[in-house]
Amino acid sequence: MKHFFLASLIAGAMALPALAADYTIIAPAGPGGGWDQTARSIQTVLQDEKISGSVQVVNVPGAGGTIGLAQFASQNSGNPNALIVGGYVMVGAILTNQSPVSLKDVTPIARLTGEYEAIVVPAASPIQNMEDLIKALKADPGAVSWAGGSAGGTDHITAGLIAKAAGVDPTKINYVAYAGGGEALAAILGNQVTAGISGYGEFEAQVKAGTLRLIAISSAERVEGIDAPTIKEGGLDVVVQNWRMIAAAPGLSAEQVTAINADIEKMVNSEGWKTILKTKGWQNTYLAGDAFKAQLDEDVAATESILKDIGLVK
Amino acid sequence: MGTFEFLLQGILIAAQPMNLLYALIGVTLGTAVGVLPGIGPALTVALLLPVTYKLDPAGSLIMFAGIYYGGMYGGSTTSILLNTPGESASVVTALEGNKMARAGRGGPALATAAIGSFVAGLIATLGLAFIAPFVVKFALSFGPREYFALMVLAFVTVSAAFGDSTLRGLTALFVGLGLAIIGIDQQTGQARLSFGIPDLLDGIEVTTLAVAMFAIGETLFVACQGDRIPDKVEAVKGSVWMSAQDWARSWKPWLRGTFIGFPIGAMPAGGADIASFLSYSTEKQFSRHKEEFGKGAIEGVAGPEAANNASAAGTLVPLLSLGLPTTATAAIMLAGFQQYGLQPGPLLFATNPQLVWGLIASLLIANFMLLVLNLPLIGLWVKLLTIPKPWLYAGILLFATLGTIGANPSVFELGMLLVFGLLGFAMRIFGYPIAPVVVGLILGPMAEQQLRRALAISQGDVTTLFMSPIAAVLFALAFLAVAVPLVLRARGKGEVLSQFAANED
Amino acid sequence: MSEVPSSHVPSSHGKRRPDRAALAIAPVLFILAGIIWWDAGRLAEMSNYSRIGPATVPHVVAIGLALLAIWTGFEAWRGDFPEREPIEVQPVVMIVAGLAGQMLLLKAAGFSIATGVLFALTAFGFGRRKLWISLPIGIVFSFVVYIIFGRFLQLSLPAGPLEHLFF
Repeated sequence: MKHFFLASLIAGAMALPALAADYTIIAPAGPGGGWDQTARSIQTVLQDEKISGSVQVVNVPGAGGTIGLAQFASQNSGNPNALIVGGYVMVGAILTNQSPVSLKDVTPIARLTGEYEAIVVPAASPIQNMEDLIKALKADPGAVSWAGGSAGGTDHITAGLIAKAAGVDPTKINYVAYAGGGEALAAILGNQVTAGISGYGEFEAQVKAGTLRLIAISSAERVEGIDAPTIKEGGLDVVVQNWRMIAAAPGLSAEQVTAINADIEKMVNSEGWKTILKTKGWQNTYLAGDAFKAQLDEDVAATESILKDIGLVK
Repeated sequence: MGTFEFLLQGILIAAQPMNLLYALIGVTLGTAVGVLPGIGPALTVALLLPVTYKLDPAGSLIMFAGIYYGGMYGGSTTSILLNTPGESASVVTALEGNKMARAGRGGPALATAAIGSFVAGLIATLGLAFIAPFVVKFALSFGPREYFALMVLAFVTVSAAFGDSTLRGLTALFVGLGLAIIGIDQQTGQARLSFGIPDLLDGIEVTTLAVAMFAIGETLFVACQGDRIPDKVEAVKGSVWMSAQDWARSWKPWLRGTFIGFPIGAMPAGGADIASFLSYSTEKQFSRHKEEFGKGAIEGVAGPEAANNASAAGTLVPLLSLGLPTTATAAIMLAGFQQYGLQPGPLLFATNPQLVWGLIASLLIANFMLLVLNLPLIGLWVKLLTIPKPWLYAGILLFATLGTIGANPSVFELGMLLVFGLLGFAMRIFGYPIAPVVVGLILGPMAEQQLRRALAISQGDVTTLFMSPIAAVLFALAFLAVAVPLVLRARGKGEVLSQFAANED
Repeated sequence: MSEVPSSHVPSSHGKRRPDRAALAIAPVLFILAGIIWWDAGRLAEMSNYSRIGPATVPHVVAIGLALLAIWTGFEAWRGDFPEREPIEVQPVVMIVAGLAGQMLLLKAAGFSIATGVLFALTAFGFGRRKLWISLPIGIVFSFVVYIIFGRFLQLSLPAGPLEHLFF
């Protein structure tokens, strides 16, 4: 054990020398989850590539990231060294939880990674494609049960958007919420529900093994390496990307924002970041500056309208 | 190559001296961190995973297996010795184990836990190797209605942990069920009992409640007795080791615990906690020493501890064969596997046999190392009780709060720790059992969500609940668990009463 | 141990007096039931295929708690609760103060100092009154824990002046 202590001391000491800007990244989720992994990956790359001298990750979990967001916005105004990781899930959570702090209260820097929603059915299902599913949905929305994540989350929103685009009342969808992707996947594999909806990564292994049939993916265009049509090709104008982003504190000067932007851009283009994306299986959907802000506004508006339609937001 | 050859080859690699050393380091670290109250297996694995990054793939896989089993096992030690389980799966271990420790039988309690964990880990790991495909099929046949039936069975059997008063046991259970309502309702996304406080939207964390009610509640309760209890406990009365009678009373619970724990661990909505509850009530049913339950029955330690470890191996069944992470620990492990290039999923056994069998062999070795490490340590652990109370309990509170702060460094979370600690203290004063509160918090939401899912899928048709054979069997078992004791009590009432009279003279 | 409950033997014969402290539990349970019932009332019953809405389970739990409240009142009146040993209040106050102190100091003073306070006050509650000894011990011990878990194992533990001095 003595060596263990010694090693820890040395490890601590090695993290000391401070170079450029030090960052503290808030991961608004518990250790181990997607946002935490994103924050820690950013930490690793910023440090390894010597973009930043010392990076700390602080977990502030709870309520779909809104607790972390609120704490970040109120405590760090004007602090150029504070960053927060977030994502599309936050957009919905801010609305359903009636959070007083929104993404308008921080300075969005860039979208980093993203994942598309996949719609699957069990291999034995009579439903062959998106058209079949829409037909069944139109005939009797109650008979089509959807397994996905918690109510009001990305999966539920996507299911609502599909129903709406197909001309079916979104409040009438029979959406069965499960705690995690794993539990929903088990229900689909066990033929308990009609269809499943979740991030493509959750289903990838099963789709490749042929135990699930992938009938559509929520991207704008076909994705390389994924053998499935888009929902658009199925005749419905639905595009959803479950993205993750990095944002800075409110109240920064233009120079400060430019400096952070430059650091993040350097990170995204580094070999280290590319390696991490590869090992974690994350899609690079980097989008920065005004283009990202415009996309963000669009997402917020679309999400608010569908959550109202489903009845989760008044 | 056949299954056996792969396994043999894996074991040969894992048994190289250097790899054995890695296994030992992994088990040591896993136990050392897992033993701290408030730091459960999920956090242990998450914390220690980076330690393995620097080794070669084989070595890191083996160390990782050691950390996993060490972390799963570690929780039982503080449960038994200090009545402070750090996670939900060792709550029932504390029920009997701590009573044994207070009677100076902490040594045998720890030994039966360690050997039981080994036996269960061994059988379950072999099960993982040879019957995983069948177990997975069985587990997938569980839909919402079958889970609901399983929860009903678990609820019925929970009364085994009620202690001496049905009123106080039920009250504790309902307090747990009430706490379970707090948070966002999964099916409709509405906030319940949150009073507009964002910190309550995610509900009450089971670990926070368990640590508060047990570790803090216990500390306050011991403190309020002042000088009436001696500064030090007599750590050992009789032998530190298990007697022949202890062995005779332990081996059947080990096996039963294994057969309960493995399949339930393999179920996507099962888990070590439910397995340990079911094992405890099974042992109470089967035991020839029923009167000892609640006062330190060794079966009540042997069974749940075996079930707990068997379900740890069971969790790996859906993880490896389907890529399904069914617990928080498994989700973190999935992230760990990915960095060894191991992509869990239905094709894993076919595309990557060396790694899978290497992992299984590592688990076998790690399991063995766990025994090698822990049996000699029992004598040392028991000495923990001889630390003067002020330092011992100051240390317990330090680590209990460390776990909570580490998972969520918020003032609100610490406030909940304090409030529930006081609740646990008050309940102890009035003779309420603590375990049913935790059980209610765990089972309540599961039962509710599964019932609502089942009925949503059937569009409101209640008969669907009884239409599946598995669900029907489980409901029948639950019914028997209620009816049989009632009938027996009615028939044997005179006998029992006369026994009471005889005892009092 | 002295935990053998006296109510265990079914022979109280109504001789025991009402247990006032235990009697107070009944209204607490009742209020709890009321809060749960009230909260469930403001939930929107959304169009739902399961016919069991978000309010059903809270209603069941509230009814259960209300019934248990009545039962508790009855048993307490008959004095069926186990006898309690006298409590020493001072140690409990010290430990609660330690936990509260840690909670309030955590953000400002950092993990080591805040947890050191908890450590020292807990030891005080158990009879080690020499704070000038136990407080430094607690802070040093907490700092070692901080190094292991916060630095080496990357747990996000709040840092304060003491931690910033070294890292």
